[in-house]
Amino acid sequence: MPDIFADRLKVLIIATLKLEGVRPEDIPDDEPLIGTPRFGLDSIDALELVLAIEKEFGVKIGSSEESRLALGSVNTLAAYLRTHPAGG
Amino acid sequence: MNPSSTLPRNPGPSWGFGFLSWAERWWPQWFFRPMLMAGTWVGLALMPAQRAHSRAYLTVVLGRAPGLGDVWRHFFAFTNVLMLSLRAGRGAPLHCTLEPENAAAFEALVSSGRPALFGTFHFGGSDLLGYLLGERGRHVSIIRLRVRNSRDTGLLGRRFSGRVSFLWINDPASLLFDLKAALEAGESLALKCDRLEFSAKSEPFRFLGARRQFPFTIYHLAILFDRPVVFCTAVPVGGEDELRVFASPVFTPDPAADREANTQAARGHFQAALAQLETLVRQHPFLWFNFLPLNPEVPPPVH
Repeated sequence: MPDIFADRLKVLIIATLKLEGVRPEDIPDDEPLIGTPRFGLDSIDALELVLAIEKEFGVKIGSSEESRLALGSVNTLAAYLRTHPAGG
Repeated sequence: MNPSSTLPRNPGPSWGFGFLSWAERWWPQWFFRPMLMAGTWVGLALMPAQRAHSRAYLTVVLGRAPGLGDVWRHFFAFTNVLMLSLRAGRGAPLHCTLEPENAAAFEALVSSGRPALFGTFHFGGSDLLGYLLGERGRHVSIIRLRVRNSRDTGLLGRRFSGRVSFLWINDPASLLFDLKAALEAGESLALKCDRLEFSAKSEPFRFLGARRQFPFTIYHLAILFDRPVVFCTAVPVGGEDELRVFASPVFTPDPAADREANTQAARGHFQAALAQLETLVRQHPFLWFNFLPLNPEVPPPVH
């Protein structure tokens, strides 16, 4: 069954970081997004992505170890969003 | 997490900064100054990598092959600024004189209380400006490289505690969230924008006769968080605990403009700030503390 959070996240990642020529299906669910050569994303991109996710999903991503781990991949981000409802 | 044993360290013995601070305080100047000059020769002899980078930089800025005396002057200028920092950390008063160019806009920004991003360079006494902003009623987060033996940073942090805090650039696991928290809390940031190591974003700009790569992260933060940017550089006035401060124009992101337009305006602003730095570097070549590889040249774009 498709993960609605994962699909929305991929669209958001492409739009926010202006990943030209990248389609949602090109983004793997379980590979690191930041700091790997595949997409060339760096820490400022990560910061921009966090701000966009907070705005889109209404969640606050703080500095806890849990939210650091959330940025690991699309799957971990989606899991974080499922367990942290908007405004929570 | 950064266990202290894995942190980088400044060159020289672990007790070096403490000894210098003690010696300046208790030894008579007629003895201390020649010892400091002799110690600079020792440092020069023991730091071949820094000596080579100094020589490479001085070749570009002086337009000739530097002699050993030039390299010593470069090292000694750094030593003098280090002593200034140690004195400031011990509580010695520092006098700052803001030069007239762009002073009105800078003063208006500082007195407005609006959170801002204060950029500077490894030039002269510029390192001290972030701390001095704390005296203007701002809480400033200073982005620095955490090293094991940085007594000057420790002393200054204690002197200005409550008004300044540090974000460690070589602690990437927490830097991202610390940066975000500081900016969202309305703090101002102070960061140096001339060395490429640890800089997430960089772009080429005209500097010292070539297109050279410089950090550009400060503008990405400014646009993301809608914060103004201003650069300040400080030239020590010979023999005094006094700094002449040069401010750049203020860059303010335009909320009505799109990302690309703001980024383009930011490029123009940074080029102007680098032109101001280059003027100062050419007037005071020994005050740009380039003991690392000079910003690399970038070939012109192919159209």
